[in-house]
Amino acid sequence: MKLPKLPVYGPSLWGLGGSLLLLGGVAPWIPVFPLIILVNLLIFAALAYSLNLITGLTGYVNFGHVVFMAVGAYSLGYSVETLRWHPLGGVALGALTALVVSLGIGAVTLRFRGVYFAIASLVTPLAGLNIVLVLPALDDGQGIVLNPAFEPLSWFYTIWIIIAAEVGLTYWITHGRLGYGIRAIKSDEDAAKSLGVNAPHLKLFLFALSGLFAGAAGGVYAWTTSGVFPYAAFDLTFSLLMLAMIVIGGMGTLLGPMIGAVIVNLLSRFFLAIFIGTQFIIIGLVVIVIALFIPEGIVGTLRKYVPELRRILE
Amino acid sequence: MPEPTLLVTDLAFGLLLGCVFAVIAHGLNLIWGVAKVVNVAHGEFIMLGAYGAYFLNLWFGFNPLLSAPVDAAIGLGVGVLFYFGFLHRELRGKESIGLQSEMVTLVSTFGLALLIGNLALLLFSPNFVGIPWSPGFVRVGFLQLPLGALYVGVASVAIIALSHVFLSRTYLGNAIRAYSQDIPATQLMGINPTSVAAIGTALGFSITMAGGALLSVWLPTGIHPTMAALYAPISFVIVVLGGPGKMWGSLVGGISLAVIIDVGQAFVGLSLATAIAFLTLIPILLFRPEGILR
Amino acid sequence: MSPTLEASGIHKYFGGVKAVQGVSLTLGGGRIVGLIGPNGSGKSTLLNVLAGVEKPTKGTVTVDGRRVDRWPAHRMVGLGIAKTHQIPKPFLAMTGRENVAVAMMYGRRREAEPAAALEESLRILALVGLEGRADTPASNLSVQQRKRLEFARALATGASLLLLDEIFAGLSPEELRDAISLFTRVQKELGFGALVVEHVMQAVMTLSDHVVVIEEGRKIAEGSPKEVVENPAVIEAYLGTEATDAAP
Repeated sequence: MKLPKLPVYGPSLWGLGGSLLLLGGVAPWIPVFPLIILVNLLIFAALAYSLNLITGLTGYVNFGHVVFMAVGAYSLGYSVETLRWHPLGGVALGALTALVVSLGIGAVTLRFRGVYFAIASLVTPLAGLNIVLVLPALDDGQGIVLNPAFEPLSWFYTIWIIIAAEVGLTYWITHGRLGYGIRAIKSDEDAAKSLGVNAPHLKLFLFALSGLFAGAAGGVYAWTTSGVFPYAAFDLTFSLLMLAMIVIGGMGTLLGPMIGAVIVNLLSRFFLAIFIGTQFIIIGLVVIVIALFIPEGIVGTLRKYVPELRRILE
Repeated sequence: MPEPTLLVTDLAFGLLLGCVFAVIAHGLNLIWGVAKVVNVAHGEFIMLGAYGAYFLNLWFGFNPLLSAPVDAAIGLGVGVLFYFGFLHRELRGKESIGLQSEMVTLVSTFGLALLIGNLALLLFSPNFVGIPWSPGFVRVGFLQLPLGALYVGVASVAIIALSHVFLSRTYLGNAIRAYSQDIPATQLMGINPTSVAAIGTALGFSITMAGGALLSVWLPTGIHPTMAALYAPISFVIVVLGGPGKMWGSLVGGISLAVIIDVGQAFVGLSLATAIAFLTLIPILLFRPEGILR
Repeated sequence: MSPTLEASGIHKYFGGVKAVQGVSLTLGGGRIVGLIGPNGSGKSTLLNVLAGVEKPTKGTVTVDGRRVDRWPAHRMVGLGIAKTHQIPKPFLAMTGRENVAVAMMYGRRREAEPAAALEESLRILALVGLEGRADTPASNLSVQQRKRLEFARALATGASLLLLDEIFAGLSPEELRDAISLFTRVQKELGFGALVVEHVMQAVMTLSDHVVVIEEGRKIAEGSPKEVVENPAVIEAYLGTEATDAAP
């Protein structure tokens, strides 16, 4: 009798997974203030992982990712305020609505070549914002104010589950058959199709997943900030930050989004303390330098130039 | 159903605004056509053009019409810097732009957008500013048209016409057009591709910033660093509507967009009209990616 | 087994350009069909229509009786029909082995385990003589090697009907001889059918069971290689010299 083959998980997954488990274990003992900072960091990491699923893996630059986050935020706002649901339900609804929206958007925009996809994605947040501003169900753009309980530990565990799912999924996708199909598409979409890779399906699958998780993270974000306002929710700055995180960390890698999130968060807090507004200037500068000189990001570049690290770092 | 006179007024305003929209998109059109790259920071340069007009007015009393050429000159320099900073490494020696280069340019220019936008927020006043220039009105039938808008509308068409003349009648212009169609052929003709690409880019930026100056007339209270986030997508949609690389496409696209918004808002309100205007991008890309013009 | 592909009355227009006008042909059963014609006659376009890369403007394509003219390329692969590209398109960042593995995982066989696919790839690479380059990135392969890789990939999809676009082009006389004998050997071993679009007369005449000639989008002759070569219409289309010189 043949024993089932035990899957061998890479060191990166162990490292990341282990750290997450550890964090989850000690969370109840973390003091409130650092816990809030941690939650904020994890929300942004979750957003980075979600963008990584589409932009990182396929190279399709999605400037409109903020739309999914906004949909998630609004779903949470609406379900908690109007439907009187528990916020967790709101987060789930956020994920679901964002999934539906992403399927709709992706079915259309993923047909376009890279540059046109990017442009279409630039336009969607503006269109989305203007649509939300006129929806009667959402008070014609007045925004939603929530009065939830202050429960950082619940916030923590919710976003923790989301990230764990994302990390696991990213690993599974990149290491299996799908990983090869995705790399093939990124390398030469036409050649991939001529070998049987159903490129439209695969792209839509990733896009929908990215939407799902961004919606969930957006829901948690609204929960922690107890409010959803149209101009803030659809702010392109979110898209820019998410993109910065994966560019800095390394697009398409497992560790990249987390590393990117940590760096961007640190830079943000440090420069915010010096002078408001400077953090984006610095982040912008870092992104330019990285995009021009080490486009694979930190993790990608290390893997490229230090072969010994290739087995460990991914 | 809104009043006919109101609609005609909206149409007229849309036409005038559209001309200015056309100019800010035209710069993008040029760069896209020549260097085949998309500058995500395009909106920021429009904004800089508008601020240029503002400061020239504040310090020297220039009106926007006068500021436009100054901005254009500054734009030339900026364009050359941009070319050598962002594009030269990617385009040098290549016959066409690859997928990786495309992505690098998209990401690096978005970093630039972040940088410039927030630098502007820091350096310029966070208030909304405007240029107090109102040369009066002119009556055309029942229409009351602001002369400022009329002047910049004319100036915009002039700029586009001039660029058309330059590109089709001068040696350098033709070299730029050749480059945008076939780089190896350009080299065979003995033209230095780097110079051509750099000049084409410079021209694009110069028109963009001049456009920003002209746009300021329509923004008596609206000049602010965040305007970039609105005018960048507007420019992109216009270029796609008119057809990337098609010189008169900017005018067609610009007027179409402005009219859709201005006339549309009489029927469904500004927000929805704006959303619809942006969403016209989708069917165009799906069914007629070369743009409306044949 | 090898599917039967029937193309009937295929027209393909690109705006005003009528690339293919009313061509019909039948492929299948392990037969090698050569498709020749002067430059710009529409050969590659026809091949792309059959492969699912382009949709015909008019006409039908059926496989074993089933209509597939609207099917995209990746679905055609599922039926056992795969094409190669005129200019090879390897996945440059991946090794030869990985390139072939993609074909194994997404072709007819749908191999689910990357590890197994990578193993099997070596076998296919050996068939085309590239086993020594299995772990080299495709970007380091010469043009001839890339053509072989392209061929290997198509084979790895498990296709029983190959649509080969000028696979013998640009080779020196020696390389051509090697390529023809390689093709014959592999075809005998695997038994696939093929449509060979070609300019290189020597290859077409040696390998084909049946030849179709098109000019300006229309079929002007078909038959055995010998018949076609002696057909005055064909000679006229080519201005004679190449065709008669290459007669078997």
